[in-house]
Amino acid sequence: MTNINTIAYKNLRRKKIRSILTLFGIALSTWILVSLFGFNQGYEQSLNKDIDDLGFQILLTAKGCPYEAATLMLQGGAGLRYMPETVLDELAEHPEVQALTPMLMQAAFDPMSGDTGSMIAYTGVDPLTFPGMRAYLKVVQGAWFTDLYADEAVIGYEAAELEQREVGDYLLIPGHEVELKVVAILERAGTQDDGTIFVPYKALQKIFGQEGNITSVGIKVHRDVNVSGYEEKLYQLPDVQVVSMAQVKTTISNLVDTARVMVLSIAVIAVLIAMIGVMNTILMSVLERFPEIGIMKSMGASSGQIFRLIWTETVILCLIGGIVGAILALGLQVVTEGLVRYVLPYSPKGSIIRIDALLALRSIGLIVLIGLISGIYPSFRAARIRPIEAIKSGESEV
Amino acid sequence: MKQIILLILALLAASFLYGAVGCDLNDPAKDIKRFFPDHTGYKTYYRSIQRDGGKALLTKVETRLGDKFTGLFETIDVPYTIYEVFKGDKLIGYVHGVNQKGRYGGIQVFLVLSERGIITQLYFQRLSSRNGNLFKARTFTSQFAGLSVKDFDTFDIVNMKGTGKVTTIKNPAPDNDPDFAAIMRGIKKNLVLMEHFGRWGSL
Repeated sequence: MTNINTIAYKNLRRKKIRSILTLFGIALSTWILVSLFGFNQGYEQSLNKDIDDLGFQILLTAKGCPYEAATLMLQGGAGLRYMPETVLDELAEHPEVQALTPMLMQAAFDPMSGDTGSMIAYTGVDPLTFPGMRAYLKVVQGAWFTDLYADEAVIGYEAAELEQREVGDYLLIPGHEVELKVVAILERAGTQDDGTIFVPYKALQKIFGQEGNITSVGIKVHRDVNVSGYEEKLYQLPDVQVVSMAQVKTTISNLVDTARVMVLSIAVIAVLIAMIGVMNTILMSVLERFPEIGIMKSMGASSGQIFRLIWTETVILCLIGGIVGAILALGLQVVTEGLVRYVLPYSPKGSIIRIDALLALRSIGLIVLIGLISGIYPSFRAARIRPIEAIKSGESEV
Repeated sequence: MKQIILLILALLAASFLYGAVGCDLNDPAKDIKRFFPDHTGYKTYYRSIQRDGGKALLTKVETRLGDKFTGLFETIDVPYTIYEVFKGDKLIGYVHGVNQKGRYGGIQVFLVLSERGIITQLYFQRLSSRNGNLFKARTFTSQFAGLSVKDFDTFDIVNMKGTGKVTTIKNPAPDNDPDFAAIMRGIKKNLVLMEHFGRWGSL
């Protein structure tokens, strides 16, 4: 076996240019293959993270209650409906639920804003669960409150800018004469949270005399849950309305599926190109070495040994090409990611191409397997060569 | 629907742009009509210390103000909105507002100025204060009419001491409410900036 390996290696070195070009082709195919698999892995993970960053997929509110601060202010702070906080215990028993976060929306009239005054909305949240649900909310100064009963506030960037508030400053709730200490300013997020004043919901309940009441619950369901089906179940609760983001999740899932099909299609093409390339190169090599193989056979080499020799050459080419391609894919990961981001209409946050050692090894394995398969025909052709015919054909060429 | 979802995701993915926000009138047409009943038109333009002169200008502004620009929101890149008011082709005055940090929130200090930078009206578009009604009262705001930046040049807004007409204006709120000092600072800041933004400006 050692001899065959050595002969195969020497054979490849005899035609250096052709071997290098073949290696180059295999390396390129491997690079594409590794990058595509890395993209499939990274894109899905990044999109799933985007889904997680969206926070809860379902917002359960008391029937008729406005669920956005903008609506509440348009309604002049009126129209708030409440549900008992005990609904949280009931929801927590649902197996579909991954996490819950209670919210209480309140509004106060500020007569000193503008000529006729305006409404200021406050959102009471649970510091233990809410920041985790809105992972995209980053703090630019300070930290989220931790005490559910503290008269403290975390302010969205635009609200802080309007009120010129920084950590350590105070806010006054008009009409209630309660001072809230600002403990954090959030980064600009490009959402309605930028204009929101967050307060611990228990403290807000106390300030507005709404102990035991909440206006909504954010529900994050497990990834495999059919959101639409679960919504139907929620409607069995009395006096609630369900605001769903299921369509967002479905569309993102469709994006992932489309990307997967696209990636697999390109991967199949890359594999086919690699197979045909390898097969063609080895076959050309066999045809060129017709007389030489004939002489080897006439000197006692068996068909099996010739088959293994040619097959080994194929495997060596694919193994080296695969390793070089995987190194290329790892080294040029940033460049490939830049190219893919340029082409894609939407790229999620985070790395969209994730290549790890296991993925690289699997791809090298796949390329070697492709080599083994594509080497069968040339090796078979070589094994079937008849010595006399081969030597004769060599003489006639001379 | 897909476009909407992509838009939502794009918003989530948006990098955080820290553009400072200035101070605009909520309803300029209506407000300017109120400040200049006989005006025939107005022009709005935007200036910033950064664009106009950078750090050198900021230093000049701070020196004239007698205090440093501080905090997250009082920065060199804040865009200021200046309303030039006309009667026919003639410039008859300006309206300019600044944000000033108060004890409990932002104070939007608007000055209505003559074409030479003399205060004709003081207007608080927003004023978060326990004594907001006292500061918004006409008895308080009317005291600033006729003053200019020169009157404030002799008034130290950090120590609230000085000489001249400005010292005659007293804090209308009880318990030495610090919002009075904030208002005085906001007015002086507004006037100093207009010394640069106004056509008569010398800064």
